Amino acid sequence: MDKSVQLKGTAIRESDIKEGKVLSTQWVPKAQYAWDTGVAIGRFLEELKGGKIIGMKCARCRRIMIPPRMFCELCYQPCREWVYLQDWGTVRSFCVSHLRWDASRMKDPFLPSVIELEGSTKGMGFFHLTGEIDPKDMKIGLKVKAVWKDARERTGAITDIRYFKPV
Amino acid sequence: MSLLERISKNIQLRSWEGEFPVQYLYTFGVAGERFFRQIKENAKILGARCPQCQITFVPPSLYCERCFERTEDWVEVGHKGEVYTFTVCYRGMDGLPKNPPSVLALVKMLGAEGGFVHRIGEIDPQEIKIGMKVEAVFKPQAQRKGSILDIQYFRPAEK
Repeated sequence: MDKSVQLKGTAIRESDIKEGKVLSTQWVPKAQYAWDTGVAIGRFLEELKGGKIIGMKCARCRRIMIPPRMFCELCYQPCREWVYLQDWGTVRSFCVSHLRWDASRMKDPFLPSVIELEGSTKGMGFFHLTGEIDPKDMKIGLKVKAVWKDARERTGAITDIRYFKPV
Repeated sequence: MSLLERISKNIQLRSWEGEFPVQYLYTFGVAGERFFRQIKENAKILGARCPQCQITFVPPSLYCERCFERTEDWVEVGHKGEVYTFTVCYRGMDGLPKNPPSVLALVKMLGAEGGFVHRIGEIDPQEIKIGMKVEAVFKPQAQRKGSILDIQYFRPAEK
């Protein structure tokens, strides 16, 4: 016999708490954060506000990296060569997600994708969403293009691009 | 990064701000439920007594923390306690000055082991001392919710 069945516990239903049959305490901690973007991501976000995607080139291995970084993690070289990339590319990986971040179910799934942007080195991934496509038609190798928010709506966030749609 | 690229004005510093949406709901467990139910309904403070060690625990637990014996007897410990240690807070949670200052203390209930961290009221912060006898002041029953704050504060006990 399963041991967990033998153990005596106290079952509680959500309604027991709502009706006050079981006492409880609730709390919402104020957990705020401010994350310093640094130089590279700071510029990257600023450029998104202007409707452009910027990467960084390593002078030694010649990789064009996205998102940009101030040093190459393969060569340990400082980087200073900013490169604008195209806002279109190829889906290299994707996922059909029926769950939101809080694990609640979604009727229409969304499609987080890794997109290799034109202009970046092969294998560099840009993580975003794909939209305007039936999840069944999603496939690796699909050419997609960014759908931007209006210039006035852009705030310098990754969500300044709404999603990528098939070309 | 070249020298020219270095950020020289604070205003250019970029940060990404956010908030973690966390919340919790905590039930008190078997012993806690009984304890808070009595506070809420009868303004009584209960302790759990270990039959072997003869120690009364407040707040109560189902098992003796010394010998792990099940605590079978529940006893009322009254409203009186003693200041075991205290602190006077001149600043609030937000870091701003607090006027008047508030007094917080670990109150050990008389005849019991353990105690509550609670507010001390009706007292001049200069006058609080370790060993001072205090008594619980309960909220009116209609306002009691089954929380430790059903005890509004402890105040110096009348002799």
